[in-house]
Amino acid sequence: MSWHGVCPPTDAINRFRGMSERNLTIAVVDLKPARAAVVEEGLRAAGIQRVVVIPDTADLLRRLSEVDPDVVVMDLESPSRDLLEQMFHVSRLVERPVAMFVDQSDASMMQAAVDAGISAYVVDGLKSERVKSVIDVAILRFNAFARLQRELKEAKDELAARKTIERAKHLIMKAKAIDEQEAYAMLRRKAMNEQRKIVDIAQAIVISHELLG
Amino acid sequence: MIEIGIGYVPLVDAAVVIAAAERGFAERRGVAIRLEREASWATLRDKLVLGHVDAAHLLAPLAIATSIGLGPGPALPLTAPFTLSLNGNALTLSVALWEAMGRPDGSLDRVKAAFRRVGLARAAGGQPLILATVFPYSMHTYLLRRFIAGSGLDPDRDVRITVVPPSYSADALAAGSIDGFCVGAPWNSVAVAAGAGRIAAFGLDLIPDAPEKVLAWPRGRMPDRAALSLVAALREAAEWCAAPGNRPDLAALLAQPRHLALPAPMILRTLEGRLALGPGEEDRRDPAYLRIGRDIGRPEPDQAERVLSEMTKAGHLAATQATLAAAREVFDPSTFDCI
Repeated sequence: MSWHGVCPPTDAINRFRGMSERNLTIAVVDLKPARAAVVEEGLRAAGIQRVVVIPDTADLLRRLSEVDPDVVVMDLESPSRDLLEQMFHVSRLVERPVAMFVDQSDASMMQAAVDAGISAYVVDGLKSERVKSVIDVAILRFNAFARLQRELKEAKDELAARKTIERAKHLIMKAKAIDEQEAYAMLRRKAMNEQRKIVDIAQAIVISHELLG
Repeated sequence: MIEIGIGYVPLVDAAVVIAAAERGFAERRGVAIRLEREASWATLRDKLVLGHVDAAHLLAPLAIATSIGLGPGPALPLTAPFTLSLNGNALTLSVALWEAMGRPDGSLDRVKAAFRRVGLARAAGGQPLILATVFPYSMHTYLLRRFIAGSGLDPDRDVRITVVPPSYSADALAAGSIDGFCVGAPWNSVAVAAGAGRIAAFGLDLIPDAPEKVLAWPRGRMPDRAALSLVAALREAAEWCAAPGNRPDLAALLAQPRHLALPAPMILRTLEGRLALGPGEEDRRDPAYLRIGRDIGRPEPDQAERVLSEMTKAGHLAATQATLAAAREVFDPSTFDCI
């Protein structure tokens, strides 16, 4: 028996700061009511008021959006984990930390997962009194890792944006036979008129060049 | 015997890996394959990254995504020394949507035009069409986006794209929680058999010979001898899988409860490229529907470039010299060429 827990949206990270866990909404996703019951009991005993059990079916996404939980706990072996991947890592609005509730047999793998920043916590077996501490550590680790990732991404985006603008500038210079300053001014003017970022305009120019050039 | 643990997701295109393990091809090369079935791509990816399995049956775009660090963990360069399949996907729309589109038989252009008409009306009414893929970094996502964009709609604005696991896709369609999906074999056929869906296009109509599944492992982690023996075994298994005379046996093997747990006749039809498009409708035949075999096994760096270009168009990454080099390096044919 193994469990996989996933936690709060990015905008919810702020919600966690200075917020009592009592206000958290936790969704427990599972097909087997007996297993969901153990987690539910543990969370309620820890004083968490709002625990919603959602069946793991095709309707999961709609139910999750309705419940808008801060934490989702689900079976590691559920195929729906791929849905969460889409929610967390592609539409970054709802990025959440990951906690895993697993068997003793899988414990070493899950410890490695923790170290790799993929998941957040390991527990030997599912006991209701441990559930709360798993959620706590999941949130803590998520916040730390998410901050790291965010900083890394910002640095990368910044670099990529600068390169794209540089390329677009050179394309304009070549096409219009104007100097760098004029080319940049053109980009900036277009961005202002269109109410878009300079990098978006630059990107469009680079892509059109790739397609048509 | 060299023991190699291989994770796979139960789909028809895992055939080569399953046949290599269970029809003696690995054993003859001195390899004992330990198969591990996984329910989700995310978990399979994590188990591969963490060394819980030695190799994995992986979505080609996921192999590239993992190598350049898209996803929850740090980047881990993978190598994909064998291509397990090309194509194999289809776009299935709900029967209700197909009716609303006026059953646009014939050409893909007519299907797209009808899709655009209904899609625009739904978006204008504040109820945009919801279409599902199986994983963000997958050819399914890119095929879906090609279809939507090809119909003149904006994949990011006019429709909603979500993820539904293949095993739930027919139910989701029947329940109306999605209007269509792009999924691999045999799940389009499952939806058709359930009376829930109509196949609107084969994947190959949208992107011909699309790289679909690869066998992948973290670069440098597999000892050379194990790598060579395994790839040799896969080549032989692929040849066996592709031989028409072996298909009934292969379908029966895949159908077993420990693998796909689905009806063998349905699996056989997908192997033959003979799919019923809708409930009670005639078959569409195309031998290239799902390509498995020795002749497609060699990883081609140019294919990585094709995948990368789809990923870029979908906004999953920015195409730079570095990502291009990293992607090309994933599809490394050097092991294949040694055999």
